[in-house]
Amino acid sequence: MVTWTGRRLVAWLVVWLCLALGAGEAPPAAHAQDDASLAYFRQAKINWRQAEGQKLTIGLNKHPFTESLLPLIPQFERLSGIKVDYLILPEQEYFSKLVADLSQQRGEFTVIMTGPMRNWQYVTPGWIVPLDTFLNDPKLTDRAWYKLDDFYPALIAANRWSGKVGGGVGEGPLYSIPVLAESYILAYRKDLFDQYKIKVPTTMEEMVDAARLIKKNAGIDGIVARGTPSVSTVATGFISGIKSYTDGKWNELDDKLNPTFHDPRSVKFTQMWVDMMRESGPANWANMTWYDAMESFAAGQAGMIVDADFFAATYEDPKKSKVAGKVGYALVPSGSGGKPFAGLWTWALGMSKATKNKEAAWLFIQWATSPQTLLNATLEYRNYNPSRISVMTNPKVQQIMGAWGNGSYVKTQQENLKTARVAWVPHPERTRLGDIWARALHEIYFKRASAEEALKKASAEIDKVLVEVGLKK
Amino acid sequence: MARRRPEQLVPYVLLLPAFLLLIGMLYPFCLGLYYSLTSYYLQYPHLFRVVWLGNYLALLTEPVFVYSVEFTVGYALVAVVIQVGLGLAVALFLHARIPGRSVLRAMMLMPLMMPPVITALMWKIMMASTNAGILNYGLSFVGIGPINWLGAVNSAMVSILIIDTWGNLPFVALILLGGLQSLPGEPYEAARVDGAAGWDVFRYITLPLLKPFIILAVTFRAMDALRIFDVIYATTLGGPADATMNLHMRAFFYAFQWYQMGTGMAYAVVLLALVFAASYVLMGYWRRAAERTAL
Repeated sequence: MVTWTGRRLVAWLVVWLCLALGAGEAPPAAHAQDDASLAYFRQAKINWRQAEGQKLTIGLNKHPFTESLLPLIPQFERLSGIKVDYLILPEQEYFSKLVADLSQQRGEFTVIMTGPMRNWQYVTPGWIVPLDTFLNDPKLTDRAWYKLDDFYPALIAANRWSGKVGGGVGEGPLYSIPVLAESYILAYRKDLFDQYKIKVPTTMEEMVDAARLIKKNAGIDGIVARGTPSVSTVATGFISGIKSYTDGKWNELDDKLNPTFHDPRSVKFTQMWVDMMRESGPANWANMTWYDAMESFAAGQAGMIVDADFFAATYEDPKKSKVAGKVGYALVPSGSGGKPFAGLWTWALGMSKATKNKEAAWLFIQWATSPQTLLNATLEYRNYNPSRISVMTNPKVQQIMGAWGNGSYVKTQQENLKTARVAWVPHPERTRLGDIWARALHEIYFKRASAEEALKKASAEIDKVLVEVGLKK
Repeated sequence: MARRRPEQLVPYVLLLPAFLLLIGMLYPFCLGLYYSLTSYYLQYPHLFRVVWLGNYLALLTEPVFVYSVEFTVGYALVAVVIQVGLGLAVALFLHARIPGRSVLRAMMLMPLMMPPVITALMWKIMMASTNAGILNYGLSFVGIGPINWLGAVNSAMVSILIIDTWGNLPFVALILLGGLQSLPGEPYEAARVDGAAGWDVFRYITLPLLKPFIILAVTFRAMDALRIFDVIYATTLGGPADATMNLHMRAFFYAFQWYQMGTGMAYAVVLLALVFAASYVLMGYWRRAAERTAL
C-alpha cells in the first residue's frame, strides 16, 4: 500500500512537471506573430544565420531599454540561431562587474552597455573594439536597411573617440551605438512662474534670483539638484551650467591636462551654484541622488531642476507626478555669449575585445539598435529620448512626447540637441575626477573652505592622480 | 608493506571540508594582502608592479585616510556602548515576567530578518528632510524639526547610528537574553536570604555573571561596527563632506569606483588589522571573564 502511494506520488509529480514545462513554451499564436515580425529583419540583405549555433553572454544595466529587449531576445534567437544568455545588474554593480570582466578579458560580457565617458575608460587599456569594421562589412551589415544616418549625428559623434587623452571626441573609431539620448535642460514650474510673474531664467544670475523668488513666494525649494558626494552630482546640470556660463571656453583640464578648477570663472560659477543650493535649495541637497531630485520636483516640492531632459516622462505622468501639465522647459541658462553648452550622454551598445564570437555579437547589436527594435523600446517601454530620428518623428512618439509641457518639451529638446555635446574632457579618470570635484562642492557648501581654496585643492588632487597613472608627465 | 586501513583515513576525510573552507578564506585574504603591496590599477595593467609598503606610506599623507580611521574607531566605540547598553535593557525587560513576553520576543527579531540595505533604504525614506518624511512629520506634532537627518554633517553620523542600532539591537538583546536565562539560580536565592534586592542584585550578581555574554556581544558588535558598509552605502555614500567616510567605504571607492586595487586593498588591510586587534583584545577579556564565572 505504501509503495503504491509512493509510486502514485511519483506519477503525479511527473505529470505536474510535464505540465509545468509545457506551460513554459510560448503558445503557437505567438510564434506566428513572431514570424511576421521576423520578416522585417529578413528584409536586410545579410545572412542573419551566419553565426548559427554560437553563444553570446551579454551584460546589461537595469534600464527601460533593457526591459524592452528582454521579451524580444527569443525573437533574435529564432532569427539568428544564436543563443543569448544575459545578466542584468543595477548600475553600480553592473559597472563594477563589467570592469572586473573586461580587465581580466574573460569575455563573460560580450555585448556591453556603455556610453561616451565609460568608453574612455575601456578604450585606453584596449578592452573594447571599434565597430566600424563590422559596419563597413557588407556581409555583416546591410547599411541601407540599418540606416546609420538615422541616428542623431551628435550622438554618433559622442561615441567616437580618437583615443587621444584630452581631445578627439567625435573623431576616430565608433565604439558603441547609442540606444537613447540624454541631455540637460531646465524644467520649471510654469504655473508658479506665471503666478508670481517670475522671468524664466536665461542666465545664471537670473536663475539664482528665480530660485530665491520661488522659495520666498511659493514656500517650496526654489531649485532642486543632485548633491551626493560622487561624480553624478557634477555630471548633469552642474557641468552643463558651468560650460554654458563660460561660453564653452573653460574646460576642467587645459590643453596640457592641467586641472583648472581654481580658474576664476570656475570659482565664480561654483560659488553661485553652491550658494543657490544653500539658500534656495533643498535642506538635504548634500544627500540627494538623481532619483531623489527627480521625485522631489515631480512631487511639487521644488520650482526648478536642471537635469536630464527625459525626466519629463516622469513629470508629465499624472500617476507619478503632482505637477503633470504644470511644467515648462527651457535651455540651460547661458553665459554672456548667449549660447548654452549642455552636456550629453547616451547609453549605447559596445563589444568586449575578449569576445570570441564577434560576428554574432555584432548581429545582436545590429538587431538591438535597428529602427524597429528601438521604436518598440520607446513606444512600449518608455525608453526616452530616442536616439534615431525616425523613432523621434514617428507619429505615435510625437503624440506622446509632443504633449509634454504643451509642446515646449520637444521644441526645447530638439533645440538643445543642436549644441549639446559631451561636456567632459576625455580621459580614463573621469569618474575619479568627478568624485573629487563633487567633494569640493561639499566643502564649499558646508563652509569648510572658500570656493577658491576648495577648488584649488581639487585641482592639486586631480593633478596628482593624472601624474600617478601616467596620463600626464 | 604497511597498508593503511580505511578507518585511518576517516579523520582526514572529515577534516577535508574545514580544510577547503580554510583555503577558501585564506586565498582571497593572501591575494588582497599581496595586491595591497602592488600598484594594481584595473585600467592600467602596464603599471602593475610590487611597491611593497608604498601604498601604506601614501595613505599616511592622505587627509581622508586619517579622518576615516578616526571615524571608523570613534563610530565603533559609540555604537558598541549604545547598542550593548540598550541591548542589555531590552534583554532585562524581556527576561522579566511581563504579559505577552513570548510575542514580544518574536517581534524583537524582525529587524534581524531584513537585509541591511533594505533597512537602510527604508530609513532613508522615513528620514526625508521635509515633513514628507514620516519621522519629521511625527516630530512636527511635538514641535521639533524638521531635522535634516542625512543632509548635514553631524546629523548624518547620528542617523547612521540610529539605523545601525535599529538593525542590530535585537542581536545584542538575543545574546544577553540567552545569557540571562542560563544564569544559575543559587546566587539569587542566597542574595534573597541575605536581604539583597533590586539594584544590588543586578549590580553585584547579574552583571558579574553576565560579563562573558556582554563581552561576547561587545566583540561581535565591535567587529561589525568597525566594518559597517551597507547602511552608509545606501544612505550617505560617505558624505556629506566625508562625514561618514569610514575605512570600508573608502576601500570600496578605491577598489570599485576608481578601480585602483592596490590602495583599495591597503585600506581593507588596515581595516582588517583594526578588526583583528579589537577582537584579539576582546577575546582575551572574554576568556578571563568566562574562567572567573566558570561558565
